[in-house]
Amino acid sequence: MSDDNSNLYVYGIIEQTDIEMEVDGVYGASTLGTVDYRSHSALTSTVDTTDPERTDEAVATHDDVLRAVVERDDVETVVPMGFGMAFKNARTLKGVMRGAQRAFRKALNDVEGCVELGIKLVDPADGATDADELRGALEDELDPLSAGQTEDDLFSDRLIANRSYLVEQDQRDAFDEAVERVETENEDVLVKYTGPWAPYNFVDIHIGAEASN
Amino acid sequence: MILVDDLLLKPFVSLLDILHAMVLDELHDMGAIRDEIKENQLLYELGERPESEYERKKGRLEAELQVAEEVHEKLISGNIEVQ
Repeated sequence: MSDDNSNLYVYGIIEQTDIEMEVDGVYGASTLGTVDYRSHSALTSTVDTTDPERTDEAVATHDDVLRAVVERDDVETVVPMGFGMAFKNARTLKGVMRGAQRAFRKALNDVEGCVELGIKLVDPADGATDADELRGALEDELDPLSAGQTEDDLFSDRLIANRSYLVEQDQRDAFDEAVERVETENEDVLVKYTGPWAPYNFVDIHIGAEASN
Repeated sequence: MILVDDLLLKPFVSLLDILHAMVLDELHDMGAIRDEIKENQLLYELGERPESEYERKKGRLEAELQVAEEVHEKLISGNIEVQ
């Protein structure tokens, strides 16, 4: 549990659970704890700022911490916060949690028992693939096993597909096997399969920055 | 339309200034640079790009991004002038 007067960085929200674990957290934080408000717990680390600088490394650390929580057996669902949510102290944070209770409840319900998995199909260097056919194969294999999908940014000309899937925990093995089939049946295509992640692409919660100071 | 709108809104800004700002913005396209950074990372992780090439390209792109961010800041603040 955090010192009541420490600045707190928030990674995400879960159903009320006591967690205290060692992590490589943002800005050198070494532990992850929780701050409770009624039926929700905020996943927090103690930091020395309420205005954390956004760097690639810090964002990756934020993701890694959430990923460690997603893998825990005692946590069924994580609602991730975007990078940069830091609060003056536990009291301030609880005030914000009180105001956002309904949004947290809805988000937790929306992604209950699910994780996010990502898949990218990348054209080989010679570009000799049928992109439409590959996208179709991906949809046929993976969409039925997921509770939701998003089409993500095609940031490279070589990207055929970049999708995120919301997958129930008990469908993960079947989903893994389906991805393996896509890989086996399309040997020329490079496949990047990532996760499990907290479901960033399936919840959209912004808690007021003005409340953080 | 941006050009016409800008001229209407800022009649005392010269056409040359506006064109210059647009060219700078185009040359230092932060979105395109960020996309290249992501592509570089992806191809490295997939084993398509050797580490040495990945590191070299990453360094160049990060430097380009930093310049682009500075140019963008100056464009927003109106501190870039045509000499």
